[in-house]
Amino acid sequence: MKPVSGSIRLTNHMLKPLSSDRWNFATAAHLLNRAGFGGPPADIQKLCDLGLDQAVAHLLDYEYTHDPTTDPDWAKPDPDEVRQFREAIKNAATPEEKRKLQQAREQAIQRRILELRGWWLRRMATGPRPFQEKMVLFWHGHFATSVEKVRNPYFMWRQNELFRQNATGNWQELLTAAGKDPAMLVWLDQAQSRKLHPNENFAREVMELFALGEGHYTEHDIGEAARALTGWSLEPDTQQFIYRPRIHDDGDKTIFGQTGNYDGDDFIAMIVEQPQAAKFITAKLWNYFAGAEPSPAVANALAANFRANGNNFKPFLHVLFRSEEFYSPDIVRNQVKSPVQWLIGSVRVLECELPPPLVCFGALRQLGQDLFAPPNVKGWDGGITWITTNTLLMRYNDAQALVEGQLPPLTANDFARKEGGAGGQKAMKALQRVRMGGVDVEKILTPEQRADKATIVAALEHRLFQTKLNSDQEQTLREFLDSKTKMSNADIVTTVRLMMSTPEYQVT
Amino acid sequence: MKIEITLQTRREFLRRTVLGSSLAWTVPAFLANTFSALQAEAEGSAIQTPTGKDASILVVLQMAGGNDGINTVVPYANDFYHKARPVIGLKAENVLKLNDQVGLHGAMTGFKSLYDAGQLSVIQGVGYPNPNRSHFRSTEIWQTASDSDRVEKHGWIGRYFDAACAGADPTVGVVIGNQLPESFFAATPKGIVFNNPQNYRFMANGAATEESYKKLNELEMSSPLPDDNSGGSIAMLPAGMPMTGGRAVDFISRTALDAQHSSDEVRAIAARVQNQAEYPGSQLGSSLKMVAKLIGGGLPTRIYYVSQGGYDTHTNQLASQSRLLGDLATSVKAFTDDLKAQGNMGRVLVMTFSEFGRRVSENANGGTDHGAAAPMFVIGHKVKAGLLGQYPSLAPADLFQGDVKYNVDFRSVYAGVLQHWLKTNSAPILGRQFTPLPVV
Repeated sequence: MKPVSGSIRLTNHMLKPLSSDRWNFATAAHLLNRAGFGGPPADIQKLCDLGLDQAVAHLLDYEYTHDPTTDPDWAKPDPDEVRQFREAIKNAATPEEKRKLQQAREQAIQRRILELRGWWLRRMATGPRPFQEKMVLFWHGHFATSVEKVRNPYFMWRQNELFRQNATGNWQELLTAAGKDPAMLVWLDQAQSRKLHPNENFAREVMELFALGEGHYTEHDIGEAARALTGWSLEPDTQQFIYRPRIHDDGDKTIFGQTGNYDGDDFIAMIVEQPQAAKFITAKLWNYFAGAEPSPAVANALAANFRANGNNFKPFLHVLFRSEEFYSPDIVRNQVKSPVQWLIGSVRVLECELPPPLVCFGALRQLGQDLFAPPNVKGWDGGITWITTNTLLMRYNDAQALVEGQLPPLTANDFARKEGGAGGQKAMKALQRVRMGGVDVEKILTPEQRADKATIVAALEHRLFQTKLNSDQEQTLREFLDSKTKMSNADIVTTVRLMMSTPEYQVT
Repeated sequence: MKIEITLQTRREFLRRTVLGSSLAWTVPAFLANTFSALQAEAEGSAIQTPTGKDASILVVLQMAGGNDGINTVVPYANDFYHKARPVIGLKAENVLKLNDQVGLHGAMTGFKSLYDAGQLSVIQGVGYPNPNRSHFRSTEIWQTASDSDRVEKHGWIGRYFDAACAGADPTVGVVIGNQLPESFFAATPKGIVFNNPQNYRFMANGAATEESYKKLNELEMSSPLPDDNSGGSIAMLPAGMPMTGGRAVDFISRTALDAQHSSDEVRAIAARVQNQAEYPGSQLGSSLKMVAKLIGGGLPTRIYYVSQGGYDTHTNQLASQSRLLGDLATSVKAFTDDLKAQGNMGRVLVMTFSEFGRRVSENANGGTDHGAAAPMFVIGHKVKAGLLGQYPSLAPADLFQGDVKYNVDFRSVYAGVLQHWLKTNSAPILGRQFTPLPVV
């Protein structure tokens, strides 16, 4: 897309940096909420004291912070396991035996994927690099890959780790790596693509959903790109990407009006060179962090900045998080929390324990964000679609479970892969052994703050909202505490739950 | 209720000033509904908001897992059938004959009596081009009514709500289950989901907590609207109700009121309405039992969604499918009896679907593997009863990779239901014009 001289005036708008007199506790809280999962007042104050540029660097330049997380012990390719299973199935004497083997394998998949969900949520909730995890969550929603089709926990872990390693790197490198990633090769059928029968699934989605958006390529481009991508395959024994020249189509292809004997790497490079590519991915990042579509001027500025930075995310994100636009009043406290943001943010802000993986899994699934199982390749819709009458009531009830240390209202079908499936009953049994932490009032309020109802309400507001509720709501909360003869810690915990049971708590 | 009384007395004000489209964003749906009803009344408009008393209702019944259509609507006289299924093929004496070629599975006596009464239509050979054999993907295709090589982010029911039910009560869609099916995904999500009405509520550890929750979530409406004689203007609306744009928190406030309202209503109906038929104790039976109560209680719902799982019959299919189809037919028959006793059967249509049928040839484990086209059932007093469409050929030369070919695109069935039953234009909802199958 060349600029047409005279007819189109390209906006030379650049993102303005936030002036230093607007950097304060509220803007620091906004930064931590969006570039992380929020945190207690002390964390916000610390960021605030750093000043804007240092605060942004503290979050974004996470490479300088050691992350001690260790990988799940099964998180490695295991060719022996793959071979043994194949042999066992082949040698199964009866259909019954075969069925049992498959069932055992299915259970192992469920167990590991549950462990993986817990492993990742723990990194988000307690890890030292919240921004990196927030980016991993972005890429997971962007390249929306589901274990429901991939059926391989190692592949899902590996993709998650790929997003972590390339969280803020170069776009072409990430897009290429994501395409060659085993989970993606299965998810969008690229592993099955052959010269004689090119599968167009990945070729289509990489342009429509991952990099350009509808209207920026033709059906012909898809067919030709699918030919270029042939040869990208999966080696089942080593569980690694493999390039197979024998199934690659070696002829000329015409993509975006250019002709050559392209392969998959060439095709990805050609995508990223499209002017639309920078616009597409930067707008999506803006939407994720700012919670709204960028205005045309902001969109142009974002794309220009990204290109000027060589399609590298890190420097671009530094500019984004320092821009005045990011802190404008229609952006601040106007984003619906995703279920993950709601859960992780609550755990961080209340300094309470992350519930066990089974509880998190059931609750997040109820709320509509089943990690490693997005609804489809378009990922989660997000925004106001997180909120329905029932997900809202569930958030209110999950708040009670979280702060009071009880199990949330979960049923067998919240866990079962299929309605009425056997996994549900097993999970319900396991749930009986689960212990929930709850909120420690003495940890989140000083003795002075606990002294009377007004200071309790004010301190909790500060912690949960970093702003004030309206005066009627404050009044309601004070009256609630008034109705208690002595304000016990349990009453204060219920007050926290009530504050979380408001429309205001669902936004950040 | 306090709020409604307030609004009644401000009808003139509302008619003139508040009924802007942007208001739908900030006012709870049940109030917006009252607004539009008031407006229609005030203007003598012919357009009436459908109420619980008269609108047509669709019940979507998902048979999850991929039901073997060939052993459901059985081509018992077909030699190819018996050749392909020496073990699990059903003999003529075990089917409920519909004509000299096909019959229903022997367990489906409930459906046979509906068929004989002219209330069951069997749509044969329903599918879509380039069928996908993955449960996940094919379910998604049915739920979003997409082409098999396209991914849609919203479902066909969600798009119906977006297109035809703006401002409706959230109970316009009710899912008995645990998760919102993808068919309900929408730009403006609507519909409530619950399994047990007792869980669809704010759970409180005491009356004071519940009272406070209600106050905290009712605040947007607590500031009084301007008086009738104040010459009320937009500028006088309380601060929580902006007329334009709309902050996320306003949308959530509205949903919070809807949640409170519908939760009270659903639980009240569940407690008040009695069923008038005997249902099986199965999950499907209890789901339909609940739907019958909600219909009897007058919930303004247009679409109910229930599901039955377990149709993925790779091994020893005979026993499990027989149990499932028996449950299906008995539950649906009880449901229709219940509605008949209520006097509501005339406005209810039940439509079944499954993500795919199964292979023509049985496998080595007494079961069948994932296939393609299969029949759909539509039940109601006004259906075009009998066998619709053509039974797909089972001749090996006519199969595609071992599967029967579809004769009816499922979106033609959706189009028929949308146009002829829900009385709405189907093209914008289904993405293009499909010839509506005349199901009613």
